[in-house]
Amino acid sequence: MTRGRGHGRWRPLRSLRAIAALLAAIALWSLGSGAAAALDAYGQIEDPALQARFEHITKELRCLVCQNESIADSNAALAGDLRREVREMLMAGKSDAAIFDFMTARYGEFVRYNPPLESKTLLIWGAPFILLLIGGAVVYRVVRVRSAMPLDDEPAAGPT
Amino acid sequence: MWKFLIPMAAFVGLVVLFAVGLNPDRDVHALPSPLIGKPAPQFTLTDVLDPNRTVSNRSLRGQIYVFNVWATWCAGCRAEHDTLLTIAAQKVVPIFGLDWNDERPKATQWLQQLGNPYAAVAFDAEGRTAIDWGVYGAPETFLVDGDGRVLFKHIAPMTLDVWQQEFLPRIAAARRGGA
Repeated sequence: MTRGRGHGRWRPLRSLRAIAALLAAIALWSLGSGAAAALDAYGQIEDPALQARFEHITKELRCLVCQNESIADSNAALAGDLRREVREMLMAGKSDAAIFDFMTARYGEFVRYNPPLESKTLLIWGAPFILLLIGGAVVYRVVRVRSAMPLDDEPAAGPT
Repeated sequence: MWKFLIPMAAFVGLVVLFAVGLNPDRDVHALPSPLIGKPAPQFTLTDVLDPNRTVSNRSLRGQIYVFNVWATWCAGCRAEHDTLLTIAAQKVVPIFGLDWNDERPKATQWLQQLGNPYAAVAFDAEGRTAIDWGVYGAPETFLVDGDGRVLFKHIAPMTLDVWQQEFLPRIAAARRGGA
């Protein structure tokens, strides 16, 4: 098959440039929106180390009202209450692990965006690798079968 | 043989996936509670109708009870209220309420106007007891046995079907086991 030479001709370089521009725009936009966290009446924690831990922990905890937002980002009333709990436990000197345990004891593993690797969560962590293996096996088979076939535009072997 | 079996297996898998995933009766936001089978979190709060009285579940040992989390801002709670009145009238087990992140005058008015199905309502203005119980939306309804263990949790408005199919058999079983 030959491609037409008119206006509809496909220009690979130009399309690549457009895709690159789009990706850059998306990357910039997501960087900018990262700063938009939910508002609290409390303000920042004075100790910057505690504030950093507070931000890390609240980003790792799912808001169960919205379920696709972290409690750092959500403005739901429950997310506000949970941020208050995290803040108070940090002030009381609790470790990150103790705070995550507090949350999972009440809300289950689903509350964590980054569940620990254990027997229950093996499938979640393993699924990408299993899918990669299946995909790889399919590609391997297809390539092997196709590479054994004669090319379309090659003259068939032997005298014609 | 494989040419037939693999697509067939994929098809059956998809049918099962869709049958479970697209079932309209399944609430995709309902989460299993890690509290089931565990001791119910204890609380001592003021009575929503009288700030000078306290409501606590510490004294409820040996008593099977229903624990219903509600609020006046919650539309589902309004929807289930008549069901709660019907259940309370059956006098099977007492219903204790938790008024969550609410305002006292509004809750008082709600109970006076719509009727009060509760043995007592604890007032959780800061939502701390609700967090202890893993509440993430209202209404939620728990069943606690005589040993103070959580037997069951229903997320979404109570209905008489849920009461008859999920609560009553568990109450009967808990009574047999506790006797």
